[in-house]
Amino acid sequence: METTIVLAALKLVGYGLGAIGPGIGIGIACYGCCVGTARQPELAGRLFTNFILGAALAEALALLGFVLVFIL
Amino acid sequence: MESALTLTNPIEMLSELVPELQASFDSGFLIEFGNSGYGITQYMAYACLVWVIVLAIVMVAGRKLTLVPNSKFVNMVEYGYQMVRNSIGEGTIGHGYKKHVPLLATLFFFILISNFIGLIPGAKAATGSIQITWALSIVAFVYFNYWGVKAHGGWGYIKSIAPSGLPAPMVPIIWVFEFVSLVIRVLTLAVRLYGNMFAGHMALGVFALFTSTFILSVVNGGMPAFGGLSIIWLLFEIFMYALETLVAFLQAYVFTILTAVYINLATSSH
Repeated sequence: METTIVLAALKLVGYGLGAIGPGIGIGIACYGCCVGTARQPELAGRLFTNFILGAALAEALALLGFVLVFIL
Repeated sequence: MESALTLTNPIEMLSELVPELQASFDSGFLIEFGNSGYGITQYMAYACLVWVIVLAIVMVAGRKLTLVPNSKFVNMVEYGYQMVRNSIGEGTIGHGYKKHVPLLATLFFFILISNFIGLIPGAKAATGSIQITWALSIVAFVYFNYWGVKAHGGWGYIKSIAPSGLPAPMVPIIWVFEFVSLVIRVLTLAVRLYGNMFAGHMALGVFALFTSTFILSVVNGGMPAFGGLSIIWLLFEIFMYALETLVAFLQAYVFTILTAVYINLATSSH
């Protein structure tokens, strides 16, 4: 019983640690998108698409952690 | 469960009610065909409901098409379709986007309607189950690979996974990385949608339980201060609900635009 709880807690901590990097990455991507859009509003559509793509790539790591929590 | 609702300590009440909330998200059988292990789960029922609603909306809106839409309903549906066509299709895929619009629009409206059905208290989003999001992402995955093979030919598509213009020794290494990131797309598409919808609805449910247990504990003779906390939880709930409405739209948009980006990456010659 003790071990199960410790293991579950460790999984959550591991996921939390794994989510730090993607969080920072998406933050930087969003910053870049906002700044770029403010400087050149006519490019907003393409910048937003690139932002979504970059955010999706960064988010993949967090999602892998999310899956690992369930399957481990 | 009557005993849990008469407690004065909201934490004890929650420890009995939260597992019940979690169990309500399980995809157990509503109808099972004998003991075969096959049946209809609640998520399948909601997916069928979404299918019927999307079909009904499009059939009704498409029945009397005029050059200038003269009813508000038709105008609304056309606006949604135009958004998928222009902002997602033309903006992302560019040249030759027209043949991909039907799939993109289907994905967008299915996910959007199913996410919004999930916002009705008591109802579940069909996309809040991993099986249905797997199915959606496999459809997208097979689709963009099919068009990639069609555009480049089998061997050409395999070569085009690595970007061109690399120095020769780097090509196999980059190819492996790009290949992994290509295969992982099917997982990330599915899990992103599922995670957002499931976690969001779970958070909504937990905040709703917090609100009701805290107010119940005051009714049952607990500390009056819990009544004030209950109002704070209610405000959180309203805030989360607004956020979930945004997320419901955004996830449908993100899923569709990512499918469009993947189609573009697979078919464009670079």
